[in-house]
Amino acid sequence: MNKWLIPAVTAVALLSGCSTVQRGSIPVVDSGSAVSNSERVSANGGFRQTTVKRPAQAQVQEIPQGDTGVVVMVPGGGATTSAPISTSPITPGPISSGPITPGPIDSTSAPINQGSYSLPPTPSGIPSASSGGLSADEQLDGPVLALLTTAQQQQASGDLNGAASSLERAQRVAPREPQVLYKLAQVRMAQGDAAQAEQFAQRGLTMASGRPALQASLWELIAQAREKQGDSAGAAQARQRAKVSS
Amino acid sequence: MGWAIKLSLVGLVVLAGFAVYLDAIVQEKFSGKRWTIPAKVYARPLELFVGQKLSKDDFLTELDALGYRRESVANGPGAASVSGNTVDLNTRGFQFYEGMEQAQPVRVRFSGDYVAELSGAKGSKLSVVRLEPLLIGGLYPKNLEDRILIKIDQVPPYLLDTLVAVEDRDFYHHFGVSPKSIARAIWVNGSSGRMRQGGSTLTQQLVKNFYLTNERSLSRKLTEAMMALLLELHYDKREILEAYLNEVFVGQDGQRAVHGFGLASQFFFSQPLAELKLHQVALLVGMVKGPSSYNPRRYPERALERRNLVLDVLQEQGVATAEQVEAAKKMPLGVTKRGSLADSSFPGFLDLVKRQLREDYRDEDLTEEGLRIFTSFDPILQMKAEASVNDTFKRLSGRKGSDDVEAAMVVTNPETGEVQAMIGSRQASFAGFNRALDAVRPIGSLIKPAVYLTALEKPSQYTLTSWLSDESFSVKGADGQVWKPQNYDRRSHGTVFLYQGLAHSYNLSTARLGLAVGVPNVLKTLARLGVEREFPAFPSMLLGAGGMTPIEVATMYQTLANGGFNTPMRGIRSVLTAEGEPLKRYPFQIQQRFDPASIYLIQSAMQRVMREGTGSSVYNVLPKTLTLAGKTGTSNDSRDSWFAGFSQDLLAVVWLGRDDNGKTPFTGATGALQVWTSFMRKADPLPLDMPQPDNIVQAWVDSRTGQGSEGSCPGAVQMPYIRGSEPPPGAACAGESPASGETVMDWVKGWMN
Repeated sequence: MNKWLIPAVTAVALLSGCSTVQRGSIPVVDSGSAVSNSERVSANGGFRQTTVKRPAQAQVQEIPQGDTGVVVMVPGGGATTSAPISTSPITPGPISSGPITPGPIDSTSAPINQGSYSLPPTPSGIPSASSGGLSADEQLDGPVLALLTTAQQQQASGDLNGAASSLERAQRVAPREPQVLYKLAQVRMAQGDAAQAEQFAQRGLTMASGRPALQASLWELIAQAREKQGDSAGAAQARQRAKVSS
Repeated sequence: MGWAIKLSLVGLVVLAGFAVYLDAIVQEKFSGKRWTIPAKVYARPLELFVGQKLSKDDFLTELDALGYRRESVANGPGAASVSGNTVDLNTRGFQFYEGMEQAQPVRVRFSGDYVAELSGAKGSKLSVVRLEPLLIGGLYPKNLEDRILIKIDQVPPYLLDTLVAVEDRDFYHHFGVSPKSIARAIWVNGSSGRMRQGGSTLTQQLVKNFYLTNERSLSRKLTEAMMALLLELHYDKREILEAYLNEVFVGQDGQRAVHGFGLASQFFFSQPLAELKLHQVALLVGMVKGPSSYNPRRYPERALERRNLVLDVLQEQGVATAEQVEAAKKMPLGVTKRGSLADSSFPGFLDLVKRQLREDYRDEDLTEEGLRIFTSFDPILQMKAEASVNDTFKRLSGRKGSDDVEAAMVVTNPETGEVQAMIGSRQASFAGFNRALDAVRPIGSLIKPAVYLTALEKPSQYTLTSWLSDESFSVKGADGQVWKPQNYDRRSHGTVFLYQGLAHSYNLSTARLGLAVGVPNVLKTLARLGVEREFPAFPSMLLGAGGMTPIEVATMYQTLANGGFNTPMRGIRSVLTAEGEPLKRYPFQIQQRFDPASIYLIQSAMQRVMREGTGSSVYNVLPKTLTLAGKTGTSNDSRDSWFAGFSQDLLAVVWLGRDDNGKTPFTGATGALQVWTSFMRKADPLPLDMPQPDNIVQAWVDSRTGQGSEGSCPGAVQMPYIRGSEPPPGAACAGESPASGETVMDWVKGWMN
């Protein structure tokens, strides 16, 4: 009984913490809707430029928004969710990680941006500290970020097939990046294919070890997908996992 | 006198009627869709991004196949310059399903076998760039014309002037027929006594090819002339010229007739027409007079002579300057070499594409509508697969009976479920029986991972270190037949760890395990792995008596390689209409069929196959750091030699055997595995590295007893277990209490071994 209460209380505390943060003085732009809002996206040329300021914040924040289920996660300065977690979960040697994880790049002598967020250069020269959207949520490489950006624009303009196609392109470039699978699951969901949405989210989970914020979003998506398929018990279970993960 | 007038009046009316009739034909065919275009099939576009694994050599192979000109400074689309580890190129741009990829200057710097830097104009960084895809074939009915339609404003400099100068100097001034040329033709034919020369204008040539048969007679000649006049009446010179450029016959490729300069340019130079230079233009125009006698691949000297003659005409007519002509004459013919990537055919893979397309389209749609089919075919991997088959057969040619052995191979990407290469015949360029798709052969020990996976899904009963008996036994089937399996070496191996049964492919322990978990359950596992074929639940199924095709085996192993997620094999990504509009997509689909933890265990056992079991010969060739998983398969009397295995990003299934099902000199290890190893060496894949599921624990066990042990103890090895099934931790070894630093070191060693 007591044991069960601990995660529940923690989850409630976390969530309420999040919501107070959102309402509070810390300037977090409501980027959840910004990402899915086509006008804003087209206005500033993609969600990459959506401004999410990242204050020193102890918790991982999660803002689920409506049906599209777009979630922007902002890792705080705390040790638990700092950037290095985004490298592949088990990395025994420099060459054994996936093609776009920093491993193989690391082993070459190429001067590749490792420590800071590896954003592709934006012509507008937005400083990386204030660039938000996907890049801020977890560290992503140039090509994946570029393709997710394209997919996001296509999705925003209603071209779901194009978005799915771009995401599959990203999946080929970075087959082990769970964020790509997460986005793919979202698009499948928007296309009305809840069964495949759930599958992609499940696949994402097998690669999201050590990334609790992303795990929570994936479980949340699974919950939505199960609901759509009429599996309310399964959805409730997934929601539970989402809370535990976050 | 009166009757003569009447007769000529009648004649005139008849002629007028005939003209009206011809006019209808001329207009009808010319105004609508003029040609039916076979569907074009494209390979995957090569993606470039920083951190991508791609060797410079492979990259240059791809550029050559795409017809990139090597220049000292890359200028204009389709040009590339190489300097050290850096390649500068100007991409051509292409319409893809997801949108337009713009033509742009790109600089790629390689470091080792990786792309280290990717930048665009003025050094700006680029995140990802796609090259245009290689055209790998089309879908034609037999004896069909093939063409790539071009617009008149897409032609390279000199083409129109050269064509007019060589074929019809009066083109811009006549009305469809040229009395001057006809007079000349009559004189030439009259003096030689035979029909030798036509005084045809370009318009007449177009009419002849476009509307008429190849018959040579005066009446046909008159019809042709009338139609030419009518055509000129309705359409302007540019339209007629454009039609001519697309209609003209320039060569034969097997049963496919190469029409139009657009396709001719791809067919001979592997380049888009717009990029052709003077010497190439001169060759193509020169070939119009006699496509087979001036075929530059078959008669290079004759073709060169003809080309230079055309160049002389250009100088004489003032189309090109003496210097330009001189320079062009110094150029080689420049046609792509036979056997190079640009001039290869891939019947095995195209067969797969056709079959997948026929499920969604009618044959007419595929052969007439000019659809653009985008596939996952990787020409570089295909060339490596073909080379591996050829090299291995050459190396093993001393073995008696190896000449009659056929081969099939399927290469996929386990992370995407896409087919990347396919070989349906030992002579990969031979179309015909596609063994990769159609040869149903007993899979032998390739079935064994399904047996062990069935057991490992019950962690309370089986772990990798469960004990199995490898003693001989016999069972009586329902039909009264006695089944008495034997090991390959005809010996029993006492008691072995479960993983050793798989690693060494012991039949006795595997059969015992399979009977213990139940044959029907093993077959259920097989179905969950993606095999749709039905098998009877005989005990002999446990050792692979059932037959499967190589692509079915690939589907099965794909699920093992991809963490237990099944993916239907895909060869096609998307289809565009002739106008570049998105038509259909073949989406990536997955379905989880197994808990990742049990897959983690079976992968671990399959890695043991390669490290210490029947597949260990790979590490005579490949580096130890390259973690691989796989399984050999040999059917009774070595009639089939199989190997199926995977790295992180590459899965390959190889089958060797005879079409008449005779005995071969190969086992799975001595035949198919050799091809597989050769392929993996050339392809240089990423080491297998499945993320460890949360419910897997690594435990130290004594390698002799399977009991829990301290990491520092002699003979201690680390094994993965599903949480809760690991042996209780062992006590420290006698008298030793190792420092924690040592333990960590041993732990690292355990990882590395």
